[in-house]
Formats: sequence, structure tokens, C-alpha cells
Amino acid sequence: MKTTTFIFALLISVSAFASDKYTEQMSKHIHAVYTAKSVDEYQSAINALDRIALAEKTKWEPYYYSAFGNLMLATQATEGSKKDSYLDLALAAIEKGKTIQANESELIALEGFVHMIRLTVDPGTRGPQFSGMAMQAFGKALGINPNNPRALALMAQMQFGTAQFFGSSTNEACGMAKKALEQFGSYKIDNPLAPVWGKEMTDELLKQCK
Amino acid sequence: MKALTTLVLFTILIPAFSQTRITGKVTDVKGETIPGANVLIKDSYDGTSSGLDGTFSFVTEEQGLQTLIVTFVGYKQFTQQVELSGTVITITATLKEEINQLDGVVISAGSFTAGEEKRRTILKPVDIAMTAGATADIAGALNTLPGTQKVGESGRLFVRGGDGSEARTFIDGMVVLDAYGPAAPNTPSRGRFLPFMFKGTSFSTGGYSAEYGQALSSALVLTSKDKAEMNQTDIGILSVGADVAHTQVWDRASVSGKVQYTNIQPYFGLINQRVDWIKAPESFESSAAYRQQVGKSGMFKFFGNFNQSSFSLFNHDILNPTVKQKFDLTNRYRYGNASYQQALGTWTLRGGASYSYNQNDVRVSENPMGETETGIHTKLVAEHSVSDQFEIRMGSEIIHRDYKSARHNEVLGNSEELSFREMLSATFAEGEYYISNKVVAKAGGRFEYVSLNQSATLSPRLSLAYKPGKQGQFSFAYGSFTQSAQNQYLRFNTQLQPETAQHFILNYQVVTDRKTFRIEAYQKEYRNLVKFNTANPTIISNAGKGNARGIELFWRDSKTIKNVDYWLSYSFLDTRRLYLDYPIAATPTFASAHNFSAVYKHFISKWKSQLGFTYSFSSSRPYYNPNRPASQFHEDRTPAYHDLSANVAYLPKNNLIVYLSCTNLLGRDNIFGYQYSAATNAQGQYESRAVRQAANRFLFVGVFITLSKNKSVNQLPNL
Repeated sequence: MKTTTFIFALLISVSAFASDKYTEQMSKHIHAVYTAKSVDEYQSAINALDRIALAEKTKWEPYYYSAFGNLMLATQATEGSKKDSYLDLALAAIEKGKTIQANESELIALEGFVHMIRLTVDPGTRGPQFSGMAMQAFGKALGINPNNPRALALMAQMQFGTAQFFGSSTNEACGMAKKALEQFGSYKIDNPLAPVWGKEMTDELLKQCK
Repeated sequence: MKALTTLVLFTILIPAFSQTRITGKVTDVKGETIPGANVLIKDSYDGTSSGLDGTFSFVTEEQGLQTLIVTFVGYKQFTQQVELSGTVITITATLKEEINQLDGVVISAGSFTAGEEKRRTILKPVDIAMTAGATADIAGALNTLPGTQKVGESGRLFVRGGDGSEARTFIDGMVVLDAYGPAAPNTPSRGRFLPFMFKGTSFSTGGYSAEYGQALSSALVLTSKDKAEMNQTDIGILSVGADVAHTQVWDRASVSGKVQYTNIQPYFGLINQRVDWIKAPESFESSAAYRQQVGKSGMFKFFGNFNQSSFSLFNHDILNPTVKQKFDLTNRYRYGNASYQQALGTWTLRGGASYSYNQNDVRVSENPMGETETGIHTKLVAEHSVSDQFEIRMGSEIIHRDYKSARHNEVLGNSEELSFREMLSATFAEGEYYISNKVVAKAGGRFEYVSLNQSATLSPRLSLAYKPGKQGQFSFAYGSFTQSAQNQYLRFNTQLQPETAQHFILNYQVVTDRKTFRIEAYQKEYRNLVKFNTANPTIISNAGKGNARGIELFWRDSKTIKNVDYWLSYSFLDTRRLYLDYPIAATPTFASAHNFSAVYKHFISKWKSQLGFTYSFSSSRPYYNPNRPASQFHEDRTPAYHDLSANVAYLPKNNLIVYLSCTNLLGRDNIFGYQYSAATNAQGQYESRAVRQAANRFLFVGVFITLSKNKSVNQLPNL
């Protein structure tokens, strides 16, 4: 009887382990994206996430992190056309993620981030169009989840950039960044794969505020 | 316990037995290695990325018949069935290049494309609005590009030896009749449509697609904006009037409307004008746009425009300036354009209808000389992607025009009416084939039939482009183009056949990150031009002909100097015509051999301002001097044209723009030509009068305010 129980327990844990292969593999590659240093490291992490995205038909997270990886590559690229092609890949992954989870605050905030980086390629001509699109995405992400610290931090970043461009007061943007920083401390969500990035970026922004 | 050990052993051993190693290499068709490709087993997590040398190796626990997939950006997906049984499998994955319409070859002969999203664009909508000297007029900005000739007294586009009527405007594929507003004699007219209405502008100086007809020289193809994204109200206070616009947005639709009033009277009171105005130009304009998304990929667009403008002035006799003739004009204009586009798998269908109504109520010494033109255009186009390399496009259209004019008969002292009704039907088909990312060919033709004079024409079009390296590319275009004779001649002789032009264009273009260089050479042959019989000018035929050739250069750089964007254009034109009342083949009065433009824009963030300068130069133009014998027709030349214009846009706030512009800063007295008296003076000579700018400078001040209720912005204080 004892043996049976043990085997039963073992079987359960094995199957639990099997179903959690997703979480385990994702955690590994998310870590790789967060810590990637070179284009190759990003590319191999993105590829791994894309493989999971293709195998799992109901998960938005692989698309999210694949997009995030391409977005990071875009920020590091120097040539405008190269930036644009990474951003195209990021946006394509976000769109796929949205077909699975249309109202995921994190995905929509990331979409706004893509528009924001798109703007930086050529602020003079892209400014009017992409600032509107970015702000709208951040607003929508906050509408779905008012506690999403990344959406708020990105919006603060965008406001800050716009204020700097026009030489107007950055007070409002800085206030928002402060609020975002508080939210990074208190934000809790029941998803081990949920994004956690953005606090450092907000710290940097707040340094500029002083 | 023994059973448990067996079980544990078993579970550990199973994976060991079932592992299969897959190794190989990823290359392109030419054998070049592809690093960073994604290699995977379908529906599993197993896979890897190819290394710097293109090789890969990974272990999979999957069993049996599986699909191996290799993907890499810019290449078609590679798939191969593999049997996984534990033995090592070696794969050579050869990836085929995808046809990439962004970085690949494109046909660039004869065309300048401006759009926000397409990255190969040379001009953007904001460039058009912010070009100094253009005063937010589309034609004004395009006049700084190669292929155009500055004709200061007209304001229209004169392209490669063609006159102002040879350039045609299209909005969302639909033709626009009378695209320019009315202007007093020898003062520049403005386009009726504002640059910010459009998300894309494609300006072709020749060799354009078979989709567009009824234009001998140039097609200006404007694509209106899609659904608006934000509710907003725009207010403009101008030195010559005011406008208000409002946009309302819903989930899948948007409506915007605008009203504008302009009156140049106060301005004319301030600055001395050369025109003897009775009543300065005054206009009232309203427009509305409606956008509706239909289903997943359908888009319905409607645009309507209503305009009424009028002015009144005295024309003075050249021989005796105290004798003056009253000239009144009231122009009523209506334009409506509805279009619908729907994607159905690999097909795209688009269709539309447009309506133009233009009435010029002209009175010369109170005698009516007006004209009215009504046009209805319907069109249906189908596009089909046969593969990613081959696309076909075909369509049909009908353009119906109704023209009426009144003419004062001085002999009889009465008015007579001249009119015609023209129905033009056209069918076109075109195929575009990408042989690779380096070579593309486009061939097609257009058939037109005009019911008015039973004329049928078939116009072939052909273009090729070759991109040998990463950046530079060569293009060639050939096309035959037809256009109905102008209304003022057609009304006297409805049997006039369409005028024709053939274009041959050779182009080389290099587009790198924010730098563009292009050089283009062309040859143009005109046939069937309208010609008056020398013995009896009332007999009009198609006996005219002409040609034009030239070389053009363009350089734009927005990278080298921070916050500075500039472009330089140079056009050389050599053209002759034997048409209208020309006794011999001669260069037309609107043609100048050398045209040069330099446009400079500088954003100064410290001042929150954008500063712009445009310098334009046109070499001398011929004019007709009746004191000379016919053998010296058009041998006289005007002085060269110089203009330095400047503008400043000051953005003190996100939603407030103060705009100031001034043309001809140096106050040069440009002369566009000479007019001669109708009769000779006491000495038996015709006396002349220079055609000058109505005012040396045009100063414009505007304040633009945008009030938006952006939800995200508004929510901010609450967060």
C-alpha cells in the first residue's frame, strides 16, 4: 500500500513536472533574454522562445518575450532601417500574442514601447503619428490594468521625451515616474512568467528628473 | 521496493533510448552560411539556432515521423520530414530568399514616393507642409523636386517640358478635374487639397502605371489618410482668414469636417500690389471626410469638398493704361470621392466613384464668358498576388465629362454657347514580376475609347529595375500616354483626337540611411498636339508635335548635420514644339533650360523652432514678341528667376504652432514674360508690359491650435 501511494505520488509529480516543462523552459529563456549581452545571445533566446510559441498554441508569454528580445535588439541597432526591421518582428510577435490574449495589458504596453522606439528613428517626421499611437497604447494598457507599472513607466518616459523635445516642463512626467516606481514595489501578480523589467529604466528616468 | 527501483530506472532510461541527434548546416541558395537561423521540430520545444558557421546540432526526444523546420528572417521557411529513431540525422537546409518589397529592388524611374510608413520614401507629408516658399501647397513643394519647371505666374506643376494641364491629380485612385483653385490672371493658383489630408503622395514625372491615364506628363497620386485615431479640434488663425476643423472618432469609424474662410483684402491693404483690385480674392471652403472599417480588412472612405471663391479687378490696356476692362470671377467647386477597398485572400478589390463640378462664372466688362465642367468617374480594380513574386492588377473605368462655356461674340454683340459631352472608357492590365530581390519587371497596357470622337488608343507601359548591390539600383521605364485635347480647343472641334506622348526614362538611385542620390535622363516625344491652321486659325487639327529631353539630379541628406535636413535638385531641359499658333518649332514660354532648388530645414530645439529656407533658380524663359518676324518666334528671353523664401514654425507647446513664412526675401522683381498690345502704336510697334509677381513678397502668419481629448493624456492627473 505504501509503495502504491509512493508510486502514485511519483506519477503525479512526474506529470506535474511534465506540464510545468513550459514554465521551466520559459523561465530559462526569459532569463536568457533579460541577461543577453550580444546579438547572438539575443537571437538564440528569441529563437528558443519562438520555438515554444509555435509548439504552445494558447500561451501569449512566448510571443511577449520574443517581441521583447527584438525590441531590445532594435534599441541597440545603430542603423535606422535595421531598427525598423527588428521592430517589425517585435510587432508581428505582439500581434500573434494578441490573437491569443487580446486584452493583455502587458502586450499592449509593449506595443506602445515598439511605437515609441519607432519614433526615435526619425522623431521629426514620425513624431506626430507615433507619439499618438504610443500614448494611446499605454493608455489602453492602463485602462485594462491600472496597476501595470510598466505601462505607467513607459508613459512617463514618453511624456518626458515629448516635454524635452518641446522644451516644456517635465514635472508631470516625473510625477508619473515616481508613481510608477512605487507601483513596481507593490505590484504582485499570480503568474511566475509575468514580466518584471522596467524598474531600472524608471530609476534612470528619475535621475534625469533631478 | 525492487519494483520502485525498476520503475525509476525505467523512467531514467527511456529518454536515453529515444534521443535522436540532428546535425547539419543552414545556407542560402548560393551556399553562403546563415547564422542565427531557428532550427526546430514542429510542435515540440526541441531545436537550436545555427552558429556563426551556419552549423547546428541538437538532441530531440521526439519519436517517429516528424517535421523539421528552419526559419530565418528574409528567407522562405524550410521544411523536411525526418524519421526520429535514435540514429544521427544530418540535414543541409538551403533557404530561398523571400521577395522583400522594402529592401529589395523597386521601380524608381520617374517617381517620387512620399509616405509615412514605407521607408524608401524620398519626401514625407510633413516635408511638403514645411517646405519654405511652398506655403503648404502640394504643387509648391513638389516644385522643388527635379523634373519640374518653376512657372511663377501659374503655381501649377509643369513637368519635363509639359504644360500645366498635362499633370493630373488623383485622390485614392480617382481622378480630380480642376485640381487648382482659381487665380487672377498671372497670379499663382493653389492646389485645392491640403497636404495633411494625405498619408501618401506619389509624384511621377513620367513612365507611370497603366492604371493612370489622361495625363501626358505627370501623375500626382494622393492617398488619403485612414481612420483617424483621436478626437480633436483644430483652430487656425491666419493673416488671411481662419479655419476650424473637428475630428470625431469611434471604434471603427471617424468623421472630420473643416470650414475655412479666407479674405486677402486686409493683407492687400497693407502691402502694395501690382494688381488693380476691385475686390480682393475671398473664399469660403468646407470639407468633410468619413472613414469606416468594414469587417477585418475592408475600408470605406468618403471625402467631400465645397468651395466658393470670387474676386474682381481691372485689366489695363497696354497702349493706353487709362482704358480699363472689368474682370469678375466667381468660382463654384464641388468634389466628392467615395472609395472602398477589400482584401479577399490573395485578391484585393477596390473601387470608387468621384464627382467634380467646377463652374467659372467669368464676366469681362459684364459680358458672360463662363464655363462649367462636370465630371463623373467610376472605377473598379482587382489585384491578385499569384505568388510572392508575381502580381497582377487589372481594372476598368469610365470618365464622363460634360462641358459648357459661354463666349461673347464681339461682331454680333451676343453670347453663344459651346459645349461637348465626352465619355471615356478605359481598361488596363499590368503584371509585376520579381525575378529575384535584384530584378523586377513590370509590363502592362491601357486601352481607351472616347465616344466623342470615336478614338481608340492602346498605350503600352514597361518598366524594369535592377539592383546589383546593397544600395544602388538602375531603372528603366517606357510608356505611351494619351490625353484629350484641352477643353478650350475641344469645344471648337470635338473631333480632335487625343494628344500623345512617349516617355523613355533611365534612372540610377542610391538610398542609404537618410541619404538619397538620384540621376535620371529622359526623352519624350509628343504627337497629335493641337495645332491651328496658319492661314485660318479657326481650323484646329492634331498636326502639332514636339519633344523634350533632359537630365536631372537630386541629393538629399538628413544625416550628416544634426537636426539639419536639406535637398538639392537640378533639372536640365531641352524642348521644342510646333503646336498651337507656333509658326516654327520653338521652345514654349513655360520652359526654362536650367532649374535649381535648394531646400534647407533646421530644427533648433533650444528655440523650439523649425527654420526653413528654399532657394529657387530658373534660367531665362522665351517669350513672344510680335515686333519680330515669324522666323524669330520665341527668340527673346526673360531675365532669370531667383527666389529665396523662408519660414519658421515655432512650437511653444505640444498643441500650438506659430507659423511665419515669407517668399522672395530679397525682394527680387522677377519677370515671367511680356504681354504685348493688341494693336500697334503710332510708331507701328507693339508695346510690351512685363508679367511680374503680383507682389514682390508674400508674407503669411498663422497660429494653429489643436485641442485634443486624448484619453490617455486626460487620465494622467488621476493616476
